[in-house]
Amino acid sequence: MSITKLNETALQSWVDRLIGQHQVYGVKAKGDRFAFGPLDDAAELRLDYDVTILPPKKYFLPQSQELLKFSRRGAYQPVGEPAPFVLFGVHPYDVVAIAQMDEVFSKDNHDRHYMQRREKAVIVACDVQKASPNVFAACMGTATVQEGFDVLLTRIGDDYLADARTPKGEALLQRIEGGADPDPASLARREQLWQDLNRFLMRHELKCAPAKLPGVLDQQEEHPIWKKRAERCYSCGSCNLVCPTCYCFDVQDEVDWDLENGRRVRRWDGCMLAEFALVAGGHNFRATRAARYRHRYYRKGKYLWDRMGQIACVGCGRCVTACTADIANPVEVFNTLLEDR
Amino acid sequence: MSKPTVAIFDFACCEGCQLQIVNLEEELLDLISVVQPVEWREAMSDKADGDFDIAIVEGSITRPEDEDRVREIRKRCKILIALGACATFGGVNKLKNKFTMDDVRKCVYGDAADMPHLSTAPTKSVCEVVQVDYRVEGCPIDAGEFTYIVRCLAMGTDPVIPSYPVCVECKLRENVCRFEYGELCLGPVTRAGCNACCPSAGAWCFGCRGFVDDPNVNAAKDVLEKYGLTIEDLNSRMELFNYGQEPAENVKNG
Amino acid sequence: MAQNLTKSGDIYVPQIATLVRKERLTELETFFEIQLESNQPLGHRPGQFVMVSLPGLGEAPISVSSRPVGNTFELVVRRIGRLTTAMHRMEVGDKLGIRGPFGTDFPVNTFRGQDVLFICGGIGLVPVRGAILEVLANRAAYGHVAILYGTRGPSERLFVDDLARWKAREDVTFLETVDRGSDAWDGNVGVITTLIPKIEIAPERTAVVVCGPPIMYKFVLMELYQQNVPKENIYVSLERRMKCGVGKCGHCQINGLYTCLDGPVFRYADVSDVREAI
Repeated sequence: MSITKLNETALQSWVDRLIGQHQVYGVKAKGDRFAFGPLDDAAELRLDYDVTILPPKKYFLPQSQELLKFSRRGAYQPVGEPAPFVLFGVHPYDVVAIAQMDEVFSKDNHDRHYMQRREKAVIVACDVQKASPNVFAACMGTATVQEGFDVLLTRIGDDYLADARTPKGEALLQRIEGGADPDPASLARREQLWQDLNRFLMRHELKCAPAKLPGVLDQQEEHPIWKKRAERCYSCGSCNLVCPTCYCFDVQDEVDWDLENGRRVRRWDGCMLAEFALVAGGHNFRATRAARYRHRYYRKGKYLWDRMGQIACVGCGRCVTACTADIANPVEVFNTLLEDR
Repeated sequence: MSKPTVAIFDFACCEGCQLQIVNLEEELLDLISVVQPVEWREAMSDKADGDFDIAIVEGSITRPEDEDRVREIRKRCKILIALGACATFGGVNKLKNKFTMDDVRKCVYGDAADMPHLSTAPTKSVCEVVQVDYRVEGCPIDAGEFTYIVRCLAMGTDPVIPSYPVCVECKLRENVCRFEYGELCLGPVTRAGCNACCPSAGAWCFGCRGFVDDPNVNAAKDVLEKYGLTIEDLNSRMELFNYGQEPAENVKNG
Repeated sequence: MAQNLTKSGDIYVPQIATLVRKERLTELETFFEIQLESNQPLGHRPGQFVMVSLPGLGEAPISVSSRPVGNTFELVVRRIGRLTTAMHRMEVGDKLGIRGPFGTDFPVNTFRGQDVLFICGGIGLVPVRGAILEVLANRAAYGHVAILYGTRGPSERLFVDDLARWKAREDVTFLETVDRGSDAWDGNVGVITTLIPKIEIAPERTAVVVCGPPIMYKFVLMELYQQNVPKENIYVSLERRMKCGVGKCGHCQINGLYTCLDGPVFRYADVSDVREAI
């Protein structure tokens, strides 16, 4: 696989070329924040973004996704295959989150709705240029990545290094015009940048290694922190919805005006919402804010670790920003438990 | 199976919710393909004789004689739908209940306040007077939610109405949170179902769909401090649509 | 596990099935006999569940109540939500969608050579019935077999023909109780835990199956503890909200366990320390 060095102009013309040939989603400004959206013009692309409001999971597990079509007389029609696309500018912590979600949707029972989108995607990752106000990826080991993407872009001075790591990525690199072979100095600067990111992408400091978290959470279900912090919880699910590793969904049927045809749709759901564990008949298995709040942190730090050996937090800090009540910072929660052990 | 008959009635309100139905435009044809309107003052001249399957009632109950009228409607229908904030929980009309009825009459009618036909009473929602089977929240209602509810009833099943706050829909639309602009938004305590239309259009949530089942108003107090806002700010904002609703009272007393 | 449903290559697309028999059991519960359009057996084991789909209304997890024999299978459904209300309105010949069978089963074959005790409350009999029938069909392979059944009242008793048969059998100890009796009821009155001391349990060689409403477990398990039954010998079937049945939607999580994959049947020893389980 190859590495190409290209300047801003070559990058722009490359992206415009890709836009002409593919559906390209990239990071764009939204007010004074950023969001992934369809790119019409390379000039819209903002690789200097800090963090997007929603993670790129929305392209693999859309907010609302048709699972099948039905007719009420009793016929089910599977949906067709999704179209290929390029996802441009994914930060390393989101790359790690996507890899984690790949495991969820491919293991045990293969979910073709997620996996087909995943297989159709070409992921162009991009090293972080600006730290967001709440990022703590450096503590989670997700500030930089070496796999899980097709191309990695790194800004070095006024230039970029485009590093293809898969055949799909290599094919994308072939379309660069005006690129050059990377000089050793740029490669050395990239190494240095990675080292820096791994140390400094840390607005909050987790006071233990992520792999220690399952142990930190062990037997702490009665710790006062759950009840205390949950007293301020709106049960609004914002922390769930903006989380790149949250994938829970609800399923509802929608029926057309003919009252005959319709579709089954899954939508993002969140374990912090009051009725998440409510069964028909009225019993709510997590009826209190505290129970739901505790569940979220155990899921992030222990339950998914027990299941698949990964901590379900990549340190993007989106939940910290999204929580108006200021109770969603996982670092605060985990550090408190750590101190009280 | 014959189409269910529907009659639409209005009480004290701006009739904006009915207008949302009229504004369905070409979708109106779809609507009348599943239900048969038999009375609808805003859109047709016919009046219903006898009973009908579904009554859709808009507006608040603000005079004693209106209570009798809505009770009569209840007797004539199998299913009663309260349409919009005025009908479901009183909405803006409930602000009247802050004052004495004498003051209200004088303020509105001046010297004519004592005329017998200008009777008035504290505002009640339709839900407070008769048994309501389904509620369509909002000021005005969300046309998409209304048509969804109609389709559910035409299929003979209950609609699924969100129990979670507006924040959910706002996040799904990837809006920048209004609090990040230092604005006081009622999204975190207000029932979703509007697809977060106001925050998506650049305004805060006014709370027109009423509170979620268990709004955490105590959390709201803490959040206010963080953004340099006060309880009074919150109360005045919540009062607009939710005067007399439990959580607003709690804050005042808390 | 998911062999039937992956034929379509899509874990969310149901198989078409037909309602071939329907019978009202109580005011709230109705019995459904269902045949897959493929005319193949469902291929379930006792204790597993299916996702029943009615287009336009969605899906719900429903326990299979029959033995795994023949080309049809049986469900008993309480009318409690949108989907189950619509199911109760179905007529013989109507179509419905089926995904599954899903989840773990009561491992009755591993109970061979042991005593077996079934403790069921209300509709908790539904998922256990297949296991009871399976044990009774191979009665000689088991030691003492006892069935304890409790309902809120005489009108809520399910499978009354089965109950009468079990009561009549000399090789089965069958005890029943109701929370509140009626004029016509001359049996036991009281909660189901009152039945446990009435039978003899050899704790070390008895497999116990427990299924009932959430409130029942705590008290029954406490009583079994009093009787020195090891947690390893006890099997429980737990209910949770489910939207997918295949380990994706997250709704059925009990701490780190997925009720749809790791359950609904759990060995009590595996969940007794799981705080949200019981």
